[in-house]
Amino acid sequence: MHLTDQHAWTNRWRRYHPAEKLLLAGGLLLLSITLPPLTTAPVVLLVVWLATVIGAGIPAAALARFIAVPSAFLLTSVPFLVLSVSSSQGIAFSPSGLETALRVVARSLAAISSMAFLTLTTPVIAWTPLLRRLGVPQAIVEIMLLIYRLIFVFAEQAVTASQAQAARLGYDGIRRSLHSLGLLVASLLERSLARMRRLEIGLAARNFDGELRVLQPTYALSLWRLALIGSTLLAVAAVSLLGNQLLAKAMT
Amino acid sequence: MHIMEGFLPPLHAAAWTAVSLPFVVTGARRVVRIVKQHPHAKLLLAACGAFTFVLSALKLPSVTGSCSHPTGAGLGAILFGPSVMAVLGCIVLLFQALLLAHGGITTLGANVFSMAIVGPWVAYGVFKLLRSVGGALTVAVFFAATLGDLATYLVTAVQLALAFPDPISGFAGAVVKFAGVFALTQIPLAISEGLLTVIVINLLTQYSRDELDELAFTAEVAG
Repeated sequence: MHLTDQHAWTNRWRRYHPAEKLLLAGGLLLLSITLPPLTTAPVVLLVVWLATVIGAGIPAAALARFIAVPSAFLLTSVPFLVLSVSSSQGIAFSPSGLETALRVVARSLAAISSMAFLTLTTPVIAWTPLLRRLGVPQAIVEIMLLIYRLIFVFAEQAVTASQAQAARLGYDGIRRSLHSLGLLVASLLERSLARMRRLEIGLAARNFDGELRVLQPTYALSLWRLALIGSTLLAVAAVSLLGNQLLAKAMT
Repeated sequence: MHIMEGFLPPLHAAAWTAVSLPFVVTGARRVVRIVKQHPHAKLLLAACGAFTFVLSALKLPSVTGSCSHPTGAGLGAILFGPSVMAVLGCIVLLFQALLLAHGGITTLGANVFSMAIVGPWVAYGVFKLLRSVGGALTVAVFFAATLGDLATYLVTAVQLALAFPDPISGFAGAVVKFAGVFALTQIPLAISEGLLTVIVINLLTQYSRDELDELAFTAEVAG
């Protein structure tokens, strides 16, 4: 999670307007789940690779690692779609299930990689303020930003604490593991709240009246880039629909 | 029990988003009202949200040897109240999808419904019910967390079955298929989470009364 976030802050495209990257990622995501998956997925994967690795300069290994975890989950779900259960025949293999599974895996992979592009190129902080435009209340946006910041602080505490417990054989056997985990969670909550209280005092000392004023970096929208993104999305749609027609013809 | 990005067909994804939206909007309105009255509640809510995220990333040991993550729905509902959990859960699920590729944007609605709405409400209902008939705190907490967990899995199974009905036996067959698989793996996990939540609440009531009182304040304001 830390590594991913590091890429988001340091890649070549970090200074581009987050709305541009959001448009590309969101557009690809929308195309991935609405167009015929078998022909869309390869094109989307290609565009994501071009944008993330060639464009933003993120190592291909980082992209692969980010996609690998959900992909493993995806593969474990295939048997449930392929195998069919009924009272008369018991468990059986179904050809139509195989086709469904293939489509779902392709669609999911394309969708996951579209979001991988966003995660690896754009820090959460950059695009959350845009939620205001969608009508999300200011208070909710601020809570989101605070949660994002605190996640990293608390995660570090959790990792350190569980390492300390593991070093004292705290995770030996199920009973002790549960007990250790309980201790960890309880102390994590207590520390979280203690930290929150210190934050509260610190902010009160700075005349906190309910609004967190932070400097937002200014980004400039580039018409040229927007046009490029638009035409890329159109091209992806065209190629995948054309490919689908060819595929259908080849099948018959 | 996250449904992955792009796993659900577009129509299902949109429908579940529409189902979840009113709960999240009502919760968000409530949060905005709380924050207006008590500006510091913003920090408290943020701490609760970040805590829920980290909690859901911890590994939960299970009797069968498999490992999974606690949903935190039961603990969150008891500590923070279910309507606030809908908002915090939604934010946490969004961040999980973006930072960990766990869950997804297109399946956010479906995941919010199972994990941030049904799970917490079932847990909260069970907790209140058992407490009102005079159940011991530990018993109420255990059943709240365990049943909240199971309700989450059941909803996920139904969501998957609706999206992928079995080619031979249809929706009912698919429910049996998905719920059957979950039953094998998730019942022990739900029991583990129940036990874990009991341990956590016990420790908190022993050592962190002040914190609990502070949270009870938000839970009360939030309903």
